[in-house]
Amino acid sequence: MKKYLIMALSAATLIGGAVLFADDDERYEKRVYEHSKTNMQTNTPKRALNEFEKTYQKECGSCHMAYQPEFLPKRSWNKMMEGLDNHFEVDATLDPKDRKTILAYLTSNAGDSKYRSKHFSKMSNSVAKDEAPLRISETPYFIKEHRKIPKRLIEQKEVKSIANCTACHTTADKGIYSERAIKIPNYGRWDD
Amino acid sequence: MKKILTILGLFAVMGLAAPIDGYMQTLAAEAKKADAGFSGFDAKRGEKIFTSEHIGKKGKSISCASCHTGDLKKAGENTFTAKAIEPLSPKANAKRLSDVKNVEKWLRRNFNDVYNREGSALEKGDVLTYIQNY
Repeated sequence: MKKYLIMALSAATLIGGAVLFADDDERYEKRVYEHSKTNMQTNTPKRALNEFEKTYQKECGSCHMAYQPEFLPKRSWNKMMEGLDNHFEVDATLDPKDRKTILAYLTSNAGDSKYRSKHFSKMSNSVAKDEAPLRISETPYFIKEHRKIPKRLIEQKEVKSIANCTACHTTADKGIYSERAIKIPNYGRWDD
Repeated sequence: MKKILTILGLFAVMGLAAPIDGYMQTLAAEAKKADAGFSGFDAKRGEKIFTSEHIGKKGKSISCASCHTGDLKKAGENTFTAKAIEPLSPKANAKRLSDVKNVEKWLRRNFNDVYNREGSALEKGDVLTYIQNY
């Protein structure tokens, strides 16, 4: 009889893994930073996602696209992750462990981080040093790039809001925002 | 005594097989504590919780069905972001209600978003019963 209890208890203790955190900032950044590049021919990631990426995709990617961390500076991500109880008027609270994992991932890959991918840093670089916007769509570079798009194309039901990158940038989730990969619903290709 | 231990042991093992059952028992105990007259969860009450409109966190009228649709066997869509949501019914989507941590997270967030407050143990149990039996 006791056997059942012991079995149940030992199984329970085996459930759940732990993410290890390094104290040393630099070593830590290197370990977190490793962007998943997609093989466009086969449409598969070239390597398995690490724990940080998996958590980010699962938690943040369940309500919206998991935006590339490079799009905002560290100060924006810090502010964002402080206010998850009112995340654009939605409750996006996380358990403390997941919040810590995601914050580490975002800040160590942010637009002003040491190991950022240069390709994406234009957005974050355009932000004034004393500002920390929470919306990528409020960064000056983003505004400049999207200024000519008619409102109706953004507000239509297939897109809903400017925050829905993948609606028009068909490969946004893979980090490809080239003009060739733009296809606006009920409009088509975009020539700038 | 032996019998009780056997039953307890079986419960513990079963609880591991279906964690949601253990969570439902916890909610039931909480509901009983809040109201001695509690006599079990009710899918009908759960349906009302799920489908009725309320002034939510954004100050606008919203229901659970706004994103999950009225048919839990079908995919839904986040009404704010247009992101697809997999079906909520465990009969249509085996992953649903399999992870208690996840269930607790979404109940906390979604009650706040739709009701602008946390749900009571009774409300959570009722709405889960509705989803389980859909």
